[in-house]
Amino acid sequence: MGRVAFTHVTKRFGDVVAVDDLTVVVNDGEFFVLLGPSGCGKSTALRMVAGLEEVTEGVIEIGDRAVNRVPPKDRDIAMVFQSYALYPHMTVRRNIEFPLRTREVPRAERNTLVEHAAEILGLDTLLDRKPSQLSGGQRQRVALARAIVRQPEVFLMDEPLSNLDAKLRASTRVELVALQRTLATTVVYVTHDQVEAMTMGDRIAIMFEGALQQVGAPQDVYDKPANRFVAEFIGTPPMNTFAARLVSPDTLAIGAGTLPLDGVVADPATSEVIAGVRPEHLVVTSNDAGSEPGDAATTDGLVGTVTLVESLGHERHTRVRLDTGTELVVRQPASAVALVVGRGVRLRAKAHDVHLYDQASGIRLARDV
Amino acid sequence: MRRRKERQPYRLRETGLAYLMLLPAMVVFGVFVFYPFAKNFQLPFFSQPPKFGAISRPARYVGWKQWSDVLQSNDFRNTLLVTLKFTLITVPVGIALGLLLAVAAHQKLRGITVFRTIFSSTVATSIAVASVIFFSLTNPIVGFWQLRIGHGGITESPTWALPAICVVTVWQSLGLSFIVMSAGLQSIPDDLLEAARVDGAGAFSVFRNVTFPLLTPTLFFAFVVGSISSFQAFAQVDLLTQGGPLDHTRTLAYSIYKTSIEAGGPSDENKAAVFAIGLFVVVLILTVLQLRLERRVNYAR
Repeated sequence: MGRVAFTHVTKRFGDVVAVDDLTVVVNDGEFFVLLGPSGCGKSTALRMVAGLEEVTEGVIEIGDRAVNRVPPKDRDIAMVFQSYALYPHMTVRRNIEFPLRTREVPRAERNTLVEHAAEILGLDTLLDRKPSQLSGGQRQRVALARAIVRQPEVFLMDEPLSNLDAKLRASTRVELVALQRTLATTVVYVTHDQVEAMTMGDRIAIMFEGALQQVGAPQDVYDKPANRFVAEFIGTPPMNTFAARLVSPDTLAIGAGTLPLDGVVADPATSEVIAGVRPEHLVVTSNDAGSEPGDAATTDGLVGTVTLVESLGHERHTRVRLDTGTELVVRQPASAVALVVGRGVRLRAKAHDVHLYDQASGIRLARDV
Repeated sequence: MRRRKERQPYRLRETGLAYLMLLPAMVVFGVFVFYPFAKNFQLPFFSQPPKFGAISRPARYVGWKQWSDVLQSNDFRNTLLVTLKFTLITVPVGIALGLLLAVAAHQKLRGITVFRTIFSSTVATSIAVASVIFFSLTNPIVGFWQLRIGHGGITESPTWALPAICVVTVWQSLGLSFIVMSAGLQSIPDDLLEAARVDGAGAFSVFRNVTFPLLTPTLFFAFVVGSISSFQAFAQVDLLTQGGPLDHTRTLAYSIYKTSIEAGGPSDENKAAVFAIGLFVVVLILTVLQLRLERRVNYAR
């Protein structure tokens, strides 16, 4: 059983808390991604599973066994390092075979397993080379082959794609997921790259400053970020967040403008909240807001001025400064009419696309629909 | 083309200035290194007759005969054998102990820096000082331990004099050996050691399969540098045994000194020159070996 369970796990380095009371269960056969900015504790969490860091408090289980006191070599795991950590003095064959040698697998079986792993990863012709004679992508494959050769309970991967160039990273991402589907082995995958997390993970766990922020399927996390940090971390460009005031159960006021709300905020502590709208959910409804005299009376939507237009080819990111001074990013398809800098605009969003967060704690405010 | 021509006088002036600044160093090196070095290759072809009172007679050309005489002499063979023994003991033991201490100090333990400082402290101790300390510890009459073997001290025993010299040498060189080995260990990426642990290797297996192979360039370097310094060992012999007892500790470097300056016998300076060239050849071979093989034992891309 390749289940990995963290129960109230804390890791301290002196006074620094690297992982703070982490409780999460990785299911058997799951591709589980630990996502967060650098220094958030995701790598430390992974290294504790590997046994490379001691657990300060709490329990880590692999399968049904608590492994806090089990040395790495007895944990039945394999790890892929960011640097690949290939043994430079050994050939590719010896590198892949090393985990089998240390466990004294008989020679004939060893050869079969090595050749099988090499075949899966297309390394058949490179077995006699030294790591220094390989390209970055090939090295990465050797590291993967060394991990899969022994069929462990859990694969641990620490940013395995970050040393590849962008193109190779995209293709390897796809192959890695396919490989995991074939082997049906649990993967705990650490990354700071949200694209990797979104595309590869069955579930993702977002960490910040050592603490777990949210766990869930990628789409759920994207659709319903649990707090302001997750809202601003997931998505490129990230969600727009800005101060707003609840004026009625279904209306939010931002400066002179308003946004509609669906559902009722359950028991709001104060009417001052943080509102969030993803760039693709903002729609430019009037290109010349403010120029028509009668328009000022309409409060539906947000009023602002275009300050910058960035074209990415397939889409445009348009920055709009609201009358409150806040800058929002609007994501538009390339087919939309291009806006000119300095132009007054009115932005609208659908009620269910507006997220609300508590101003003090940043926690998502639930709404009864 | 024209530009280059315009610059020429300036460059000439600059080169002249460079040579002018090099001159003092060149003079010192010329007098104390280059001239004696060249002269040393001329000396073996001549023989100096014994002095007649205060009158020294002119040197006589003897050709290659003196070379073969010296190289076949028991004195030379004994000297070479002693030096070889000395090197074969001090170098491996020094490396092994240095590595042991380096591995111990490489652990991430509280207060380990104190031990690192202690382990590397002998770097600040000269071999002469180490010899004097050894003497004052082991001397059978005035020494702290008053070590007595047979009728005399450890340095007077034919069996134990050479090991005693080796002990002083290993102890004094241990600091450097420790530092070199520590640097070697630190150059091995932590990732590799961690990967090996995850791949199922225990502490000893990690050392045998990863640490040690990746340390070979360092070990090779330490072996060559250690051998060169052991072949040149002089001060510890001069201070503790003067080559005795019965030439049991008469190393090559000490023999050169003894033959040319102290013995006072005939044509000694010329004989010593052959010894010196012997030492030069050994060091030359080791140096070439170092330069040639350095790249081959290196795994770096």
